[in-house]
Amino acid sequence: MVRNIKTLLALAALAFTFGALAYAQDNMKHEGEAKTLETGSFHGKVHGTSGRATIYQEADGKLVLRLTNFKTSNGPDVHVILIAAKDADDNANFLKSSAERVELGSLKGNEGDQNYEIPSDTDLSKFQTVSIYCERFDANFGAAPLEKF
Amino acid sequence: MNTHVGSWVLHRKWILAAVGLPILVAAWWAFRPEKLWINQKVSEPAPFASSTDPQPLYTGRLEGKAHQTSGRATIYKTPDGKQYLRLTDFSTSNGPDVHVVLVRSDEANLTQEIVKGQLDSVELGSLKGNQGDQNYDLPASVDLQKYNAAVIYCERFHAVFGLARLEQF
Repeated sequence: MVRNIKTLLALAALAFTFGALAYAQDNMKHEGEAKTLETGSFHGKVHGTSGRATIYQEADGKLVLRLTNFKTSNGPDVHVILIAAKDADDNANFLKSSAERVELGSLKGNEGDQNYEIPSDTDLSKFQTVSIYCERFDANFGAAPLEKF
Repeated sequence: MNTHVGSWVLHRKWILAAVGLPILVAAWWAFRPEKLWINQKVSEPAPFASSTDPQPLYTGRLEGKAHQTSGRATIYKTPDGKQYLRLTDFSTSNGPDVHVVLVRSDEANLTQEIVKGQLDSVELGSLKGNQGDQNYDLPASVDLQKYNAAVIYCERFHAVFGLARLEQF
């Protein structure tokens, strides 16, 4: 009986150690005006695409996609688009796969930091991948799957 | 006779030029081959004033090893040069003597859930909570090129709860 109680107590202690929940809540040091919503790295071997894509929400609610440390190959009629997929294969052809997309504009430069406005009604839980897309040849130069920041 | 042949050749050249030139122009327009050598570099500022905010340097998603672990680990640098690791959307299992450490992402021990022997690591402190957003100051001397992964590490059982490989932000 006593042994049973001891066992029970030991088990309870164990359960407490492993089951109890410790919740921490540190604040961001000097939280800025813009919130970082999502981020991801580019991959794209064929056209050597690399860098980071990050979606920010400004204080007034506007959504902005920013590319940093960005590099891809230069090409004709290259656009930045969001696609309704978790990721995209290198050189994927979205015309054939008919994936839904949101156009963000022509690629401003094949190198360097750059910003693109995202239409305010864009559902980011659906459009989860940024693609550098050559419209002329329907070729995906590179893609960045976005994850919550 | 000779003049007739000559005019025919001349005529054909004309046709060749009339057909060939547009094809060349169209091919150039379609492929823009000169873009293989010409880079277009832009440098837009961030869409917000941020000089007084901490800047993210490295970030990565946490993946569970010995215990289910999820969330994001990000290393920030404050304007005064201090660096800290911040965990967000963070969740792991509670446990005894759990620490946050930085390790090398090519550390051989990380292929296993349980570390054998010593883990080459930089200690950041005891885990403040098994859930929630939390910050850990980094030692000033830490080499982030070398120690480029964050690990939630149970020292008592040498168990790697979770791991985040950090990539340049």
